[in-house]
Amino acid sequence: MSDLDRAIEQLRACRLIPESQVRELCYKARELLIEEGNVVSVDAPVTICGDIHGQFHDLMELFRVGGDVPDTNYLFMGDFVDRGFYSLESFLLLLCLKVRYPDRITLIRGNHESRQITTVYGFYDECIRKYGSANVWRYCCEVFDYLALGAIVLGASSELEPTGPPIVNETQSSMPLDDDELETEVLNSRGEVTMSTYRPRNRSSSDSSDTSRNISPPRDISAAPGQTAGAPLRAGAPGTGASSDGNGSATTTRTGAVLCVHGGLSPLIDSVDKIRLIDRKQEVPHEGAMCDLLWSDPDEIEGWGLSPRGAGFLFGGDIVKQFNHLNGLSLVARAHQLVMEGYKEMFDGGIVTVWSAPNYCYRCGNVAAILELGEDTSNGGTIARSNGEYGRSNGVLGSNAATTVVSPGRRYRVFEAAAQDTRGMPAKKPVADYFL
Amino acid sequence: MAAPQIPNLNTLRRGRGRGRGGSQRTEEGPGRTSGKDRVIQGTDNDASVSRLSAVRLGYLDDPYAEALTPAENAVRRFPIINRGTYVRTTAIDELVTRFLGPYTPQSVPKRKQIISLGAGSDTRVFRLLASRQPPDVIYHEIDFAVNTTAKIKAIRSTPLLQRAVGITPSNDEVSLSETGDALHSPCYHIHPLDLRSLSATEDPSKIMPGFKTELPTLLVSECCLVYLSPTEAEQVLSWFTKALGKGADVTGTANIETPITPLGLILYEPIRPDDPFGRTMVANLATRGIKLQTLQKYHSLGAQRTRLKEQGFISTQAAADIEFIWEHWVNEQEKERVADIERLDEMEEWQLLARHYCIAWGWRNGIDPTAFSGWSTLPSQSSEQ
Repeated sequence: MSDLDRAIEQLRACRLIPESQVRELCYKARELLIEEGNVVSVDAPVTICGDIHGQFHDLMELFRVGGDVPDTNYLFMGDFVDRGFYSLESFLLLLCLKVRYPDRITLIRGNHESRQITTVYGFYDECIRKYGSANVWRYCCEVFDYLALGAIVLGASSELEPTGPPIVNETQSSMPLDDDELETEVLNSRGEVTMSTYRPRNRSSSDSSDTSRNISPPRDISAAPGQTAGAPLRAGAPGTGASSDGNGSATTTRTGAVLCVHGGLSPLIDSVDKIRLIDRKQEVPHEGAMCDLLWSDPDEIEGWGLSPRGAGFLFGGDIVKQFNHLNGLSLVARAHQLVMEGYKEMFDGGIVTVWSAPNYCYRCGNVAAILELGEDTSNGGTIARSNGEYGRSNGVLGSNAATTVVSPGRRYRVFEAAAQDTRGMPAKKPVADYFL
Repeated sequence: MAAPQIPNLNTLRRGRGRGRGGSQRTEEGPGRTSGKDRVIQGTDNDASVSRLSAVRLGYLDDPYAEALTPAENAVRRFPIINRGTYVRTTAIDELVTRFLGPYTPQSVPKRKQIISLGAGSDTRVFRLLASRQPPDVIYHEIDFAVNTTAKIKAIRSTPLLQRAVGITPSNDEVSLSETGDALHSPCYHIHPLDLRSLSATEDPSKIMPGFKTELPTLLVSECCLVYLSPTEAEQVLSWFTKALGKGADVTGTANIETPITPLGLILYEPIRPDDPFGRTMVANLATRGIKLQTLQKYHSLGAQRTRLKEQGFISTQAAADIEFIWEHWVNEQEKERVADIERLDEMEEWQLLARHYCIAWGWRNGIDPTAFSGWSTLPSQSSEQ
């Protein structure tokens, strides 16, 4: 067993590795990350995760629900550290996995992967407390500077393979028509389907009338202990993808690429290519494109607005629609905002927030989610169509594009906070602050 | 500073527990403190540590916070907690200031009275009296003897605190109980009292030396009554509404035989226990042994307003959660100043937290319809969400 495998084993048990090993790990990780572009290309199938925030036990629950590395291909959208009590264990484990399985896990930068923020929100103090000096914090911050700013997921299938029958035999809603394809599915942590939506096959998402069947809230009372996670997703069905539909029009449909960033869009960035031009190897600046990508939030407004966070911007549905159209994207996946249900789609499914820290700060009472995108196998596994550069040259909104971009099939796995004392890991009972 | 003229207040508590958190009280003799009560007494430490954190970072200007929080307890709180501490403190300050009105030496003869329930290590009295000399207000603090003893000890060892409230060693108007748990001066009284024992006594002057039944009075419960049982909390408020004139009964009919003293109440309490955040809060506090006993009964802004009305604060009842108060009471310039101290990383979390605490305020005019006129223009949340 290699040192790296031993380190992984140790960290999985929530035990820290020696400082010298952290130093070596961070050095290796930097060598690896420096080769990555600002926007990493990731092939489906992939499981997209949001904020972790040092909630180590919940990260283990995430792996239980979503499958282990390297069986499942993961994309983490930043905010690994701060707030929770196990930022070190969480980040170092993810980093070890990155070094060990570089093609099976992608890490992009969140606004908390920053020197300034970590000194306020806990990671710095945790490093001092656990290692006795700021050395490890410094090594980690140097890694932060090399993390990619975004990722493009290619080759996702527009259709999900149904997981199984819903947990409740629900009466009021009609079953999908023969020609419908499964667009979204929500599963609880026991792998039971709690909601599914369908859309007519071979139509663009904008003119489909989705059938939504809400069977039960995506929340289960207790996670079933000992249950293993479902096998890695192998969805994808023939018949979707780049073929003409039956309506006789010239329109073709295809599954667009998915852009993943921690925060959101920037008024300084109108194409994915512009992200590629940023000089990212630095502390997160207070303003500018790089700051915006890590700090911005979607909001029910038109155009751009000032962010109450004091960094980044608010952006409306029109901005998302235009950005997706110009870049041949079908979806922006981002994290950064606490959502009580674990995920939240906005703007006709043009953007989704994925939040993966259940009971955030041991106080908020929310559930968490991860988003699985399946692989489109209809073209024999070839990936080409959309790489985030689509439409770059035509550049005009409302032009009669001959291709309709269809959003990928989306499977959300919702999970709750892990009981801290059930995994044989050391766990100091976390104390949440209140006003007393 | 020995004060033989002050009765030993411990004797007044015979047969009662000292805590405001316990419901069982029969076995507890004087001087005994139940475990539950100790837990509730400890909540004062949470508040004072949070206050010191907010002061050190510049959210609040409070020269007295250092003296009333043991240095070894000092912790830097997260920005979200600092902001909450800031809003809670400045909101109650605003209500208190509006109650007292602008200070002029001419206003001194028209004094008013403030009674802080479960005051603990609160610094408001020092900030207030230091800015109003000679004082136009008589300030009473009530808490467990263990908390009042600690506070009096801090005052005795800190000239800054003494100067703020006009206590000097040579001042013969200042007296201290033998056990060091009660302090009396012309404008500042510290009463070592279990609030649950109030209802046993009819005569306020016996149990609270310096208490004036004729002065317009403001009661402040900053996260205090919530630890009592609903019945006990009601009894505490009823005791004051009765002690300050018969007030009004539940139906709102005033008893005109005795002059009714204007009386107002400020409550600062958690609300909304039934959503995921609220349920988590209740469960987390329960693991620390803290039970918010009235939370279910006064679970919403509407329930708090109804409570105020039913308890005799018949003239006006209002309530707002901390998020609303941040949005509507804090002016834009001040909001910017506070936001610049520490950047909040997470707005949703702030809204979630801030919506689970409220300030409720209400009053009865009694014989003076202008006593609380300063409160009438404060924005409040009218509809219940």
